[in-house]
Amino acid sequence: MSGKMTDEIDVKVLRALQKNARTPLKEIAEHCNVTIDTIKNRFIALKERGVIRGSTIVIDPKRMDLGNLVILGIRIVERYSESVLNMVIKIPGLCVATKAIGEYDIEAIFLLKDIEQIGTTKEMIEDFPQVKSVDIGIFVDKPLLCPKNFEFD
Amino acid sequence: MKFDKIDNVIIKDLKEDARTSFREIARKLKVSPDTISNRFEKLQKEGIIIDTTVVINPSKIGYSFIARFGIKVKPAYSTQILDKIITIPSVIVASKIVGIYDLVAISVVKNFQHLWELRDTILEMPYVESVKIGMWVKTMELAPHYFLI
Repeated sequence: MSGKMTDEIDVKVLRALQKNARTPLKEIAEHCNVTIDTIKNRFIALKERGVIRGSTIVIDPKRMDLGNLVILGIRIVERYSESVLNMVIKIPGLCVATKAIGEYDIEAIFLLKDIEQIGTTKEMIEDFPQVKSVDIGIFVDKPLLCPKNFEFD
Repeated sequence: MKFDKIDNVIIKDLKEDARTSFREIARKLKVSPDTISNRFEKLQKEGIIIDTTVVINPSKIGYSFIARFGIKVKPAYSTQILDKIITIPSVIVASKIVGIYDLVAISVVKNFQHLWELRDTILEMPYVESVKIGMWVKTMELAPHYFLI
């Protein structure tokens, strides 16, 4: 794990921005009893150190007609996880793909328009010669995010 | 709800950087900052924008990997259990799903001890029937904006 941890002010900055990424830095400064420049510098430093990777809005994909989030659990022939992973990441609609230890060898999450696209994506992966099986789970409802609960030490 | 150009630009810009100033978006669209601010509030009220947040790199704050929990529950209890799971610190995202499990939760994990604690916490919830774990190694995120990790 990376050596340099965050101090109390950093944690306050992170907490405030997790709750609401648009929190004015001035507000955080007042809360911490420091100057706005201190908070500005901390914010910049947190970004430079890679603690904060960016900020974003969470949207409801269904309301935007973007489709459904789908999780795929893929079992593959031993030793081919790297090459299968490299093929999976080229498939349209992918959000995240990873090698995994446990139930599956590769897990991936896609954002797919409809049942038809879910079917073709599954088949596409099953067609890879090193793939043994593909299990599928379709997210119902909007996914609940709880970045607000993300814990700091 | 129908989206027009203004809504789409707001969503696109804020997805890339949630701290983009409304003034900047307004200038681009040649409208007033108040228009942008009103639209933003409307998008939030309508539940299209669920949240704004910073994307934190978990490995920089003491977490070492990500685990996916696949949870089977007694029929009709999934909502109740989901509401509990979502309050576990370190869970990033959780949802009901159809297919392999009834619920899925993705969490950042400090170490193996922490992983077992998380598993036990979920297993001890009433009406939970089984918990399967997948530990994520070498995770590639192509659209991290969609998937907050």
